[in-house]
Amino acid sequence: MNCSVAARLAMALFLSQLYVPQAFAASDSTVPAASLAPLTALQSTSASTAPNDPAGEWHMQAHDYANTRYSTLDQINLSNVGRLRVAWTFSDGAMYGHEGAPLVVGSMMYVVAPFPDVAYALDLSKPGSPIKWSFAPDPSPIAIGKACCDAVIRGWAYAKGKLIYNLLDDHTVAVDVKTGKQIWRTKMGNVENGETMTMAPFVVGDKVFVGNSGGELGKIGWLAALDVDTGKELWRAYSAGSDQLVKIGPDFKPYYDWLKGKDLGISTWPADMWRTAGGAVWGWISYDPDLNLLYYGTSNPSPRVPVQRPGLNLWSSSMFARDPDTGAAKWAYSFTPHDQWDYDGVNENVLLDLTIGGRRRKVLVQFNRNAYAYTIDRETGEVLVAAPFAYQTWSSGFDMKSATAIVRPDKEPKPNIKTTDVCPPDIGGKDWQPSAFSPKTGLLYAGIFNICMDVTDHRQSYISGTPYDGMEMTRQAGPGKHWGEFMAWDPVNGRKVWAIEETFMTMSGALATAGDLVFYGTVDGWFRAVNDRTGKVLWSQKLGSGIIAAPMTYQGPDGRQYVAVYAGVGGGAMVSKAMPGFPPRGSTLYVFSLDGDSVSTGLEMPTTEGGSTSTQNDNSQTGR
Amino acid sequence: MVTTRRNSPRASLAATGLFIGIAVALCGCKQGRQSSAPNQAQTLPPEGALNSLPLGALAGGARLGVPDNIANPLAGNDEAIAAGHQLFMEMNCAGCHGYDAKGGMGPNLTDKYWRYGGMPSSIYNSIYAGRPQGMPAWGKALPPQDIWRLVTFIQSLGGTVSATYYQVGLEGDHDISSVAPEVPHSLGDAYLPAGVAAVTGSGERLSAPTTSPSQSP
Repeated sequence: MNCSVAARLAMALFLSQLYVPQAFAASDSTVPAASLAPLTALQSTSASTAPNDPAGEWHMQAHDYANTRYSTLDQINLSNVGRLRVAWTFSDGAMYGHEGAPLVVGSMMYVVAPFPDVAYALDLSKPGSPIKWSFAPDPSPIAIGKACCDAVIRGWAYAKGKLIYNLLDDHTVAVDVKTGKQIWRTKMGNVENGETMTMAPFVVGDKVFVGNSGGELGKIGWLAALDVDTGKELWRAYSAGSDQLVKIGPDFKPYYDWLKGKDLGISTWPADMWRTAGGAVWGWISYDPDLNLLYYGTSNPSPRVPVQRPGLNLWSSSMFARDPDTGAAKWAYSFTPHDQWDYDGVNENVLLDLTIGGRRRKVLVQFNRNAYAYTIDRETGEVLVAAPFAYQTWSSGFDMKSATAIVRPDKEPKPNIKTTDVCPPDIGGKDWQPSAFSPKTGLLYAGIFNICMDVTDHRQSYISGTPYDGMEMTRQAGPGKHWGEFMAWDPVNGRKVWAIEETFMTMSGALATAGDLVFYGTVDGWFRAVNDRTGKVLWSQKLGSGIIAAPMTYQGPDGRQYVAVYAGVGGGAMVSKAMPGFPPRGSTLYVFSLDGDSVSTGLEMPTTEGGSTSTQNDNSQTGR
Repeated sequence: MVTTRRNSPRASLAATGLFIGIAVALCGCKQGRQSSAPNQAQTLPPEGALNSLPLGALAGGARLGVPDNIANPLAGNDEAIAAGHQLFMEMNCAGCHGYDAKGGMGPNLTDKYWRYGGMPSSIYNSIYAGRPQGMPAWGKALPPQDIWRLVTFIQSLGGTVSATYYQVGLEGDHDISSVAPEVPHSLGDAYLPAGVAAVTGSGERLSAPTTSPSQSP
């Protein structure tokens, strides 16, 4: 054929790609769903929907106590997701990493910007979702230099007419959602000493639960309960120290023998090092209303130089089940005792009911930073499944009897010696970015990493207010050279069902809906909708910055379903900032709907009158 | 009379008086100390010699009337660079600013952008008094010679600006790369402590060592 025909053919092919609603997947390497048959068995996996908020609203970061991040809305579904367009956007003006998801209560949306933590109430019933009020709490800028991983806010909470969130400088604040005025503010720590707060508070009934950040600065971790109405502190449980500080008492029944004993929070450390233990509580909390148990994890031990702290370093890189009324620990488990790589234990615990080995069990599933996905009996703390979900070299296997990974000696960091190809790196096979569960498929969905590190330790002295750290690292992509992956996981068998490789990190949260869709975003700014059974990317939209926030969905006062996500790169994604094409910072919330329709649609917008000139005669010009 | 950007003669006198007072308070009336001769330019001055340095402005506080053009007396000194690097690790500076000093929790110290000023005196003041976004105040923990060693190490990373840059700033936008290398302002000699000569990075002495804490303004 001649050149012009070829050119026209090429153009036609190109254009045809643009108008087909399977859009711009970064990679075609979707792992085929090897067997759909087991999905029937998996579909007996379920999760509680407590506290059963209205289906079109989103009252807490993880949608529900079980942390499913699943919505029953299905107006947007497999048949029409290609029609998603931007309906409106909102920039909160703060350029630090955006990690939280908006809350929708009634016809109002609540968002909180990262530092300086200004809260906004947006009226969804009016065109353009205007700001109804804003609240500027004025936190101390000292906190900026004490936050290890960007001046972020990971989420906020709603309860009893109050918007409750943590300020970076260690205050918890409650704001009246009708007026935007402060109701109470409670100081939880001293920021000058290196303690900050970034996590999303979690509310159950009349109590709000908050925890600290500071595991990189030698701050001992804690979880506290405050009264929702007054902000008064009711109890505080530490992550190290005596059983009294850790709130370990006669009700404490860990499943494994190596977790039984008196004052392990002291004896598993060299003398007095428990005081700078780390074990910060900066991640997610879930709750089982039938068992009346809270579940949450603790951060890495401090310093991040393991030779300085021989011992199991309890209760860092662990998780607790606690009575929310008293704080008393019911059981605990340590994912990475004597954690040498900063793997933490703070990732979300999704509460599921499923059938394993013919028995119905109440479990939780955590994708730990150490690259193992754990299915744990949430009544007893017994580990039922532990399977790697990401590339890892730090362990050579997993001993189910003791429920510990078998450490490879050549991957144990040592001072002043570079240990290479340690996988996953400190930020893990998956970091705090939360997964989602679909009861229709029985699968969990998560953005994960394919990253390794070279690490050299440097011995540290403790100087209050400065890092108690010591890990010098370079990070690079693992095998295959892609940094990110979005996957579907089978928690019964501990296996990946499908995965989408991404060049950039996949550090956004996941959202699952009854429309058979899952949503996620990439660090280079792609927001995607995926078929939740097959992993086929059905729709993609490039946003103004990288996406590290969790998406959410709601039904507006106009009856339309919307999907919303922040685009503002930062946080832990900055470890990949040297990648070519890494985006600059952003501060914008994107809200999508079918065809971009919203409350504004069909309304007359201001126009100029036809026929009138837009400028007056310019009499200053002569000779024209 | 010392000419500075803003000070009245009375303020300059007061500043000098303050300086003398501090010098006396910190090191006693040590006069006529041994100076470092040119062939000893690579060794550090005696410990006490650097005690009496003008205090910088506290973050947000009033300036004490000291010009920003004071040079780093240890600039370019290899021993000081090495000692400063060691301090950078041991005092956990690397924890915030990165082992390569390219930033992390705290800003990049190797690039040309300085929140609080990139002249040696600005960096000294930042370390000494702390800064609003979480930089601790090391003045109580580190003696002046250690702070100058840290400044020397940071200068060796290439991102800082000369002590004469304040003059450039008065004249408007200027390409930093064409600013002269570290040369102490001629009036800066008045602010060097007794017995210390100003030297360039190659050790060339630029002025005779002073025998008293200051020339009178």
